[in-house]
Amino acid sequence: MNIDVQHLAKLARLHLDDKEIEKFGRDMENIVAMVEGLPDTSGDASGLDPEHPMKLREDVISTEKITREELLSNAPKMQAGCVVVPKTVE
Amino acid sequence: MELYEMSASELSLMLKEKKCSSEELTRSVLSRAKATEEKVGAYLTLCEESAVSKAREVDAKIAKGEKLSALAGIPIGIKDNISTKGILTTCASKMLYNYVPPFDAFVMKKVNAADIVVTGKLNMDEFAMGSSTENSHFKKTHNPHNLDCVPGGSSGGSAAAVAVGSAVISLGSDTGGSIRMPASYCGVVGLKPTYGAVSRYGLVAFASSLDQIGPFGRTVKDTAALFGIICGHDNMDATSADREYPDFTAALKSDVSGLRIGIPKEYFGDGVDESVKQAVMDTVRELEKQGAKLVDISLPSTKYALNAYYIISSAEASSNLARFDGVKYGFRAENYDSLTDMYEKTRSEGFGDEVKRRIMLGTFVLSSGFFDAYYKKAKLVAMDIVREFGEAFEKCDVIATPATPGTAFKLGENMGDPTKMYAADICTVTVNIAGLPAISVPCGKVNGMPAGLQFIGRKFSEQTLLNSAYAVEQLTGEVRPVNV
Repeated sequence: MNIDVQHLAKLARLHLDDKEIEKFGRDMENIVAMVEGLPDTSGDASGLDPEHPMKLREDVISTEKITREELLSNAPKMQAGCVVVPKTVE
Repeated sequence: MELYEMSASELSLMLKEKKCSSEELTRSVLSRAKATEEKVGAYLTLCEESAVSKAREVDAKIAKGEKLSALAGIPIGIKDNISTKGILTTCASKMLYNYVPPFDAFVMKKVNAADIVVTGKLNMDEFAMGSSTENSHFKKTHNPHNLDCVPGGSSGGSAAAVAVGSAVISLGSDTGGSIRMPASYCGVVGLKPTYGAVSRYGLVAFASSLDQIGPFGRTVKDTAALFGIICGHDNMDATSADREYPDFTAALKSDVSGLRIGIPKEYFGDGVDESVKQAVMDTVRELEKQGAKLVDISLPSTKYALNAYYIISSAEASSNLARFDGVKYGFRAENYDSLTDMYEKTRSEGFGDEVKRRIMLGTFVLSSGFFDAYYKKAKLVAMDIVREFGEAFEKCDVIATPATPGTAFKLGENMGDPTKMYAADICTVTVNIAGLPAISVPCGKVNGMPAGLQFIGRKFSEQTLLNSAYAVEQLTGEVRPVNV
């Protein structure tokens, strides 16, 4: 199958140069050839699992206290308590 | 015998009887880590100071006669994709080279509350994608049984550390075999719990419907004890199961009489090394002599499992890893001229090749025109796999298979060919797709390298798995750290 690696990279927000496009193109063709060929199956779609009852938590604010400073301490660029990114509107 | 060579259950008794202190034990393990690190390379971050100070805290509690957990004072290593408050958590990626979580994962709260001593963070394949730990951005980890071989992956550091004695126990994560495979390659015990048994809160997500945190140990008893501490319900994970768990170590027994062991022919076919099959079958026949009953079963959809696994896991990875954009945490590219340019450069420079391949495969199978032929079909095959396991468990109590199709391969051997690397997961991926628990336990050596036997069980049947593995351990003997 011919895979448009450049388009995929764009969708995935990856930038690939020409050499990488060639290399990943080859890899992707091999990988897609490996994973394709799945059978058509009726598939019992009754996804309910009585053994594993999931429980949604109450909509209450978590008691875990993480301060704004702690949360922002990992941001690569900060100014006046805000994360800095390139200008998005002219 | 040095302290680092002993099992957690032996050490726990010694601590209780004041034959050693947690500080002595912790220092013994830390110096073992430093002595073996250059050869094995299991650690990404060694936390000497905090480990010793935690050990002293535990010693003070022991001196006061406080009632402590079964693993209090025992050193543990943690896979680097599990969030540890205040300790670097990189996922072995350049993308998170400087990330220090402001919170603890659920399992870390449990580990800390149980007074287990964290010695550091362990190497892995970048974002847990890989089967050899060679995809780590920072370093290669070597198999302690043969330094030219890989430790398996993605939790290679967690398995290698326990095998060499630079940790007594460890935590890893398993999305398609990432605990069981390195456990098998390194000759230690590794348990992948039932989906939902252990909270994923704070585990950096790879494929959320498949990911599960689990324990490593040199003995079944240690593995059981650690599982008993980390399991349980958590409000912060909506897929966390709300149920009671037994005391796994107290209920541990090696009596297999009446146990029905299913032998699925699909796991003993082409592509699986003859000597590995032999080692597994020899062990299972020993259990038969002790009263277990062997039952032939069939799981026909196994032949599609690898396809379905790589489609589903990559699809989920492509959305989970969208969060790494250089804005809120981690790496950001230096030069860019717009927001999109910043995203693209950050992700291209921050992710390694394997991660990029999985993101693109995931993007491909979810993209318009291909969704039905790939993702939807894979989810339907997943349902077939679930159904076939259900039918098999009407005839047997556990299923025995090789944990891996071969023993540990050489470093570099599979790096040029992604699909060859993916094939190493063939014995383990069905378990994650079906959400089942499974354990890998050493069952002897093949050509000088450890082989692993995998027991697969019904949901929440971890006790049965631990008991089956315990029976195998009675045959093979408890594992001690390897000399390197």
